[in-house]
Amino acid sequence: MDNSITAVSGRDVAREAEAAVEKRFFVRLNTAERVQHMTLVVCFVLLVVTGFMLKIPENLVKPFGQAAESVFYYRSLLHRTAGVVLILLSFCHVGYLLLTSAGRRWLRDMIPGKKDLLDMRDNFLYFTGARREPPEFDRFTYQQKMEYGALLMGNTLMSITGVLLWTEYLWSKFLVDVATVIHGMEAILACLAIIIWHMYEIHFRPGRSPLNQMWLTGLMDEEEFREDHALHYKKIMSDPELKKIYLRKEAP
Amino acid sequence: MHLITRNWIQVLLSAGILLFCGAGTASTGNGIMPDTENCLLCHRYPAMGRFDKTGRKRIFYIADELFARSVHGKLRCKNCHIGLDQIPHTNVRKVDCSTKCHIKEPSTGREFSHINMVRKYEASVHGRGAAGGSKPFPEDLPTCKYCHSNRMYNSLDGLWGKSEALSNETLARCVGCHTRKEWARNFYSHFTHRMRRRRTQDEVVKLCTSCHEDQKKMARHGLESISTYKDTFHWVQVKYGVRNAPDCLSCHVPVGYSTHDIRPRTDPVSPIHLSNRVRTCSNQGGVQVCHPGATAQFASGRVHAYGVKAQILAGEKVPDEQEPEMSAVIKRAGMDISEKEVFHYRVLKLLKLFYKLLIGGVISFMLLHQSMHFLRSRRKPHGTGQAFSGKQGGNDQGRCG
Repeated sequence: MDNSITAVSGRDVAREAEAAVEKRFFVRLNTAERVQHMTLVVCFVLLVVTGFMLKIPENLVKPFGQAAESVFYYRSLLHRTAGVVLILLSFCHVGYLLLTSAGRRWLRDMIPGKKDLLDMRDNFLYFTGARREPPEFDRFTYQQKMEYGALLMGNTLMSITGVLLWTEYLWSKFLVDVATVIHGMEAILACLAIIIWHMYEIHFRPGRSPLNQMWLTGLMDEEEFREDHALHYKKIMSDPELKKIYLRKEAP
Repeated sequence: MHLITRNWIQVLLSAGILLFCGAGTASTGNGIMPDTENCLLCHRYPAMGRFDKTGRKRIFYIADELFARSVHGKLRCKNCHIGLDQIPHTNVRKVDCSTKCHIKEPSTGREFSHINMVRKYEASVHGRGAAGGSKPFPEDLPTCKYCHSNRMYNSLDGLWGKSEALSNETLARCVGCHTRKEWARNFYSHFTHRMRRRRTQDEVVKLCTSCHEDQKKMARHGLESISTYKDTFHWVQVKYGVRNAPDCLSCHVPVGYSTHDIRPRTDPVSPIHLSNRVRTCSNQGGVQVCHPGATAQFASGRVHAYGVKAQILAGEKVPDEQEPEMSAVIKRAGMDISEKEVFHYRVLKLLKLFYKLLIGGVISFMLLHQSMHFLRSRRKPHGTGQAFSGKQGGNDQGRCG
């Protein structure tokens, strides 16, 4: 409420004033996190495409003709390569979480708490109009924590079942069948979740640009950050140590 | 219809006899066996044919050049078509592939016959049984001709690729000593054709499923439709045309077995009998070594997805008493699927149900959450922080937008 005067003037005014007032950005993803995210994106897309290729109906495979065999060969190769890279990335990420200070901070901020439940309740109240403002979110919103948790769970399950299916001859057929069901169903769940939850949140929701480049720059501008992570914004602004970590003055 | 065709045959026969009376044996002269039996006198006419009693169109035309290039091109008509000494042919017997056909089998010098294959076949799961047979619904059993046609040696297929030029070069070396070119070509063709698969994997699946996907036909014999094969990763590879991908024959007729000798899985000789599974799954010595490290635990599992029988045993499907065919399936279900496998089926089914509910629940929650967020955000422009009053709902949009 205290920022209503500047807010009313809106973005256009802010843009006009850009030359005069120095623009500030907030770090959402540091370099290491962006590299991890980019690797995950590439692997995920490759895995989804090459994985669901198995489910293509027969009449859609026919047009490949003689090339279908090569297509299948590279499909298998890509799927397994991307799978291995993703598993290695997972270990790297665990190392990052435990061994670096930025990673430990990430982990600490990501652990869900009572506030997340309250935030969710308040957000729903806000959606229905019973609350005038959305809750003030910390560094990670409950949506992001849920997604991160789902990613951890899903990735673990997919890795385990994927390795089981790769070494099928060692296990009982029943275990292989179970792994097949889990691997396939988790894939459907992950795809839908990424589209509905993540893509909407990052690219399609009102106020976000479809060309949101945060995943490349790692930065969020002050206005957007203050609105989406009000609590974290307050914490940063009142702590010079956090300012050093999160505040950037240069343009992305 | 029959009257018309009979008249038509008479006209044709008279015309043929008038035109070619005294023409002697027809011989085309280009290395094709001379037609000493004079069958082509009539059978050379493309229009020769009729509808039989069941209304099926029968064609009796013989293109002698094509026939000469077929697997059976060196045989005379009467070697296989026994009888035939009356015109019209009223005493013709059905072709029996176990007949001796007066051609010398080169390895023994004896008269050639398919009797070895026929005997094996009769004893197999597809045959009528060694003693003439007492199997139910014998009309469902495939005959020789169901899978085999009189295969053509039209194109010269080499062993390495399909280069006809390469085959011509090879043949040129053969005819140096084996001076009868047509004989050399046939020999070469026989050899190279036998080195290849007759059908692609996809074609094998099509051939087998032409019967085995017919639910009624299978139910009569206590079997279920094999469409569950198409739920396996084996089929995915066949679908993509992967070389040596596992089709029906890969497991049911692996290296060292004959397609004519397919046995039920309860037979200790069968490659899918539990005691032979590890060898079958690993397929050591085959063109494709499939699961080289296969453990007994892996190999003893069920390959095809669970189908009707598992459903019946799990009590999910109550078979219709009106369908007499199903009784055979019910009788065999307990024999084919163990209690442990029924448990596996139940677990898999529950797991699928769990995931369906999970996906449904999670995605519904997400859709609800995001659409509520979307609708709310549209009513309050981004970045204004302006107070929203639920009571003003409708006006808000106009004012802030």
